[in-house]
Amino acid sequence: MAKGKSCVVLPFLIGFVGALIVGWGLFPKLLYSEKAQPIRFSHKVHVEDQGMACDECHTFREDGSFAGIPTTEECAECHAEVMGEDPAEAKFVEEYVNEDREVPWLIYQKQPDNVFFSHIAHQDFDCTTCHPDVGNSDTPPVYYENKISGYSKQTMKMWQCERCHAQNGASNACYVCHK
Amino acid sequence: MGLDRRGFITFLVGGAVGTLFTPVPWKLADDVSIWSQNWPWIPKLQYGARSEAPSLCKLCPGGCGLSVHKVGKRPVTAQGNKNHPLSQGGVCPLGSSAVQLLYRPARVKGPLKKNNGRFEAISWEEAAQIVADNLKGKKIAALSGDENGSASEVLAGFLKLLGSDDFYFMPSDAQVSQRAWSLMEGKGQLGFDLENSDYVLILGADILSSWGPVVRNQKAFASRKGKFVYAGPVQTGTAATVDKWMPVYPGQEGVLALGICYYLLKMGKSASLKNFGLVRDYILSKYTPSVVEAKTGVSAAQVQKLAQDLVKASAPCVLVGSDFGQGSGAFEWASGILVNLLLGTLNQKGGLVALPENKVITSAPWRSELNQKSFLKFLDEVEQGKAVDGLLVYEANPLYALPQPEQVKTVLEKIPFKVSFSTFLDETAMACDLILPAPHFLERFDDAYTPFGVGQEIYSVAAPVIEPIFSTKSTPDFILEVANKLGVDLGFASFEEVLQAKAESLGTDLESVSAEAYTSDKWLAQNSLSLPVEILATGLETEGEGVFLAPVARNYLGNTKQALTPFEVVVVKEFELQKKDFYIQVNKNTANKLKLKQNGKVKLQGAGGECVARVNITETVMNDVIAAPLGFGHQAWDEFAKGKGDNLFKVLSVKEEKGSGLKVWNRSQVKVVRA
Repeated sequence: MAKGKSCVVLPFLIGFVGALIVGWGLFPKLLYSEKAQPIRFSHKVHVEDQGMACDECHTFREDGSFAGIPTTEECAECHAEVMGEDPAEAKFVEEYVNEDREVPWLIYQKQPDNVFFSHIAHQDFDCTTCHPDVGNSDTPPVYYENKISGYSKQTMKMWQCERCHAQNGASNACYVCHK
Repeated sequence: MGLDRRGFITFLVGGAVGTLFTPVPWKLADDVSIWSQNWPWIPKLQYGARSEAPSLCKLCPGGCGLSVHKVGKRPVTAQGNKNHPLSQGGVCPLGSSAVQLLYRPARVKGPLKKNNGRFEAISWEEAAQIVADNLKGKKIAALSGDENGSASEVLAGFLKLLGSDDFYFMPSDAQVSQRAWSLMEGKGQLGFDLENSDYVLILGADILSSWGPVVRNQKAFASRKGKFVYAGPVQTGTAATVDKWMPVYPGQEGVLALGICYYLLKMGKSASLKNFGLVRDYILSKYTPSVVEAKTGVSAAQVQKLAQDLVKASAPCVLVGSDFGQGSGAFEWASGILVNLLLGTLNQKGGLVALPENKVITSAPWRSELNQKSFLKFLDEVEQGKAVDGLLVYEANPLYALPQPEQVKTVLEKIPFKVSFSTFLDETAMACDLILPAPHFLERFDDAYTPFGVGQEIYSVAAPVIEPIFSTKSTPDFILEVANKLGVDLGFASFEEVLQAKAESLGTDLESVSAEAYTSDKWLAQNSLSLPVEILATGLETEGEGVFLAPVARNYLGNTKQALTPFEVVVVKEFELQKKDFYIQVNKNTANKLKLKQNGKVKLQGAGGECVARVNITETVMNDVIAAPLGFGHQAWDEFAKGKGDNLFKVLSVKEEKGSGLKVWNRSQVKVVRA
């Protein structure tokens, strides 16, 4: 009888613990692929060395919409030709400026098309409230792409939006974000 | 201790329970649901700065200025350009489809060469070489559907330098009016100063739906100073909108004009014509009220009232034009011009005006000269044995949009080398040996110089608003490249230079005219006009047998160049098309007379062909007339246009007009039999 009992508990525990290990340890590693930005863009060089302000590149347009990441054309206002020694800059000029292509930057917080997120409505918050602190980085953080959904690991979920809205007394009505 | 079956199952249960305490099931369910919302065929928004770029619509000869809305570098929609004199912020159904047409499935994606009946892709270098080889020392003709662009000027100038006079425009009122005006020894291009008129009598032309610069016509109507009266067989968009609709049998608008002239002459009005006495006597003896009433269906009293209203107006204008934009003769135009001359409105504010011409390609004939020539007469000559080695077709679809297209096809088969420069895979492109696609007009430089029908000299230029999506090449640039290969010098290295020269010839420059259209108020004074009386005889000819057919052109069903657009499919009405059948429209009287029933299937039999349709009974058509839409029955293009209804051009019958030698098909008659 005792033999039978131990035979039931142990495999259960092994299965239970094994599942916890796989689920919490292995699964996240399997679910996300690690990606690097197409160009190793250094915010540090631009902000610290060149003394540029955030809103010189990340601007609001006249209609209040947020321009996001600058276009190749805007970058080329300075980088029409290679200016420094960094091979990443040379790669950018050669592959994107000279070819008149946009860089397929990986957006850490990219929201789906059915979400209407207004940056200007959130401008009183610090950028790092939602975004990783890329502004002080020399190498952009690793981008984790969900292999199933295709979105970034850091893309904010709806419950996070709702929680913050609730905490700040902002409306959580559907049409606030879904037009 | 071994793992027995019981232990193994317990292990699995432990694993399953453990999994519930991990993110695995919950995260997977969430991710799979997101994955299912992102199928690759679901369109993705493209973000970018919103902007507006001025452009010019080349989908019809109206020459409207467009304002193309862009997101980033991508155009997303086209609206009317508020600063352009011909659109004033308005846009027609075709113009509003402009951006979507960039992605129309029927677009030709690169140069194609026919090999054993199948098209295969070739390079542009190879294409230029093939064209150069086939043009050198050969007899070449060209057909253009762009009646006011400099691309036609380049093509005509090129042909002239190759020793050919065989450049033709697709038939239009621009051509017929020019022929009539030249026969009257007039100079320049005719136009109508509708904006300043206080009484506009429109004879035939469906000016608010399809004729001429439609949007500008609508704007002139919207801000009218007096009345607009329409005379035509069908309650078209114009008839339904203006102050009064007066039903007139198809193609009899010229007779109505002379009926009005009769009363004006009786009132003692005169015109400065060299042979005025002859003309006056002819009209007073031949176009008596009873004759006019019998021909037009308009009572003598009504005609007299029209004449009196015109005389009372301080700036009257009589606008004459074909019911469906083409097919009328010099008779209708000469008659319409004559009413204006008797009213003394020539080159007066609000009247009939003569506008200047312009050209910069030295070898090209003037537009007024090119407009004297008829492509249908050229086809007759080819049928009778005229040797032609090659035909270049630009922005035209003669195998769909000429009367009796099957016969046109047979004649064109006699020409051994045919090149289509069509942006879309239309019927004519399918029958050519080479298709060398022109970019969509939003992807290229293009222009429009004084579109036919306007009352002032206007020059508009559009720069590309998007890079070409496919492997296409601007046709005039291609022609200049081939000319260079053949050692023929047109005086310009690129089409952009041609446009620059044209802008400079008008005292402006390309940049300014691209931003804002050039306009002037130059009207050409006329020295001595005359009116050959033999032209006026056409209206007295007896009509053939059958019922009058009144084709109706509607922009939303496409036009002679563009087939029904994907955008407009949803606005086709149930009484215009049901499944694969299109509808003819008759009123109750006519239906009873012809024993036609609602939705009954019939065959229309014309002189050169027949087409199948269903019947819709409506009181929007006058007695003894069958109205039917143009625009259906395409056999090429794409799923949005192909195989829908039948092509009415098949049943139009062509006659040669005495006096002018023009081919006319505005008085077509058909027989109706049950199908």
